Amino acid sequence: MLPIMDYIWQGLAQAFYLLFANDPATYSAIWTTLKVSTLSIISSLILGIPAGFFLGHYSFPGKKAVRILVDTLLSFPTVVIGLLVYIMVSRQGPLGELDILFTIPAIAVGQTVLGLPIVIALTASAVESLDQRLKYTLLTLGADRFQVLLTTVWEARFSIMAAAVTAYGRIVSEVGISMMVGGNIKWHTRTITTAIALETNKGKFGMGIALGFVLLCIAFAVNLCLNLLHKRTEE
Amino acid sequence: MPNLYQLQNICKTYKDKDVLQVESLFIYNKEIVGIYGSNGSGKTTLLRLLSFLDEPSKGEILFEGRLTNHNELYLRRQVTYLDQSPYLLKRSVWGNVSYGLKVRGISSKSGQIHEILDIVGLPPQEYARRKWYQLSGGEAQRVALAARLVLRPKVLVLDEPTTNLDAESTKRIREASLRVREQWGTTIVLASHDQDWMDSISDRGLEMQDGRIISTRSKQ
Repeated sequence: MLPIMDYIWQGLAQAFYLLFANDPATYSAIWTTLKVSTLSIISSLILGIPAGFFLGHYSFPGKKAVRILVDTLLSFPTVVIGLLVYIMVSRQGPLGELDILFTIPAIAVGQTVLGLPIVIALTASAVESLDQRLKYTLLTLGADRFQVLLTTVWEARFSIMAAAVTAYGRIVSEVGISMMVGGNIKWHTRTITTAIALETNKGKFGMGIALGFVLLCIAFAVNLCLNLLHKRTEE
Repeated sequence: MPNLYQLQNICKTYKDKDVLQVESLFIYNKEIVGIYGSNGSGKTTLLRLLSFLDEPSKGEILFEGRLTNHNELYLRRQVTYLDQSPYLLKRSVWGNVSYGLKVRGISSKSGQIHEILDIVGLPPQEYARRKWYQLSGGEAQRVALAARLVLRPKVLVLDEPTTNLDAESTKRIREASLRVREQWGTTIVLASHDQDWMDSISDRGLEMQDGRIISTRSKQ
């Protein structure tokens, strides 16, 4: 039996080989992950930023209850989301006619449900924590209601960017949803995380390490881009 | 001087308590009116009503002879209010000064911005590109004043504009206020604890106590 360190070294060597030899199965999982996570984060932001702004900016009956619900959904287990989306999009489910089970759109729906509470909760907190003088400053400078809304979101941009990074981190690293509603189909719906789970079960650490390394690189690249964006928007 | 504001039987209530009661007040065009009084005397409440940032619980405010509604965008664009600790947008000095022009759909010309920064005593070459967090308290106050002056408002409302400022900033704010009244005919309403400073700038002083105007005095 090989000692554990040898396993790891062999895995690392194989990981570099797979990445630099353009292994098609490895790159298929990478591209699927990038496609589906991009789709999911865009939908989460489109739906979540206005909802979070509304929740943070306005007072309405039941606001506290909505806030508690959104905060509770932050710790929604991914397998439960996977289960719910599976029920919705399976043939007998209400969205069965769409016929999207075991496709990228199905994973994107599930991941959007995963990312949405994060974007809503963090955007609401960002808007709530804005200086109370902001609204009157904008009004006295002559902004109309819509301009007040847009500028308020812009003032909270750094916190909203942080919300986007947090949500993307959760989306890109989840396994449950991709496995349950994606089906882990090679060349189609196999993502980095489902591939790591599968290859590790088969004892093939090389591909697992290679994909884990790519996942870390994606996280690093996203943070780097946001850092640059942060600097640019400060100017 | 023609009438700009006319306040009639104004009452402002917060949590069932009357915090402001003004039976009658006239403010004239191009006038500089100073309001003084202790904390809680109703100065800020009155200034916010005059700036159309708040509405009275009872009574009427006429502006240029017309009955007003504080939600009217036209009115808010005639009057601009500067707080004692103003909020600067998370942008450069240029971005802050040009914001009001931008929301009015007016493109900001560099000459215009530079002129205003000069008026408030901030050399444009040195300050225009600075970020909001690179300014001292006095500089931030002057940037906020520039952001209001660039709009050439009909009325400039200043609420304790010199609190916590150094002598240089206080002097600059006085000079800028007098200059815009002279140059553009701006009416100025201001409140300050610094009565000497206020007397040196205003044409008329109003003393407030417990939400009421208790005395008026005009400069001879």
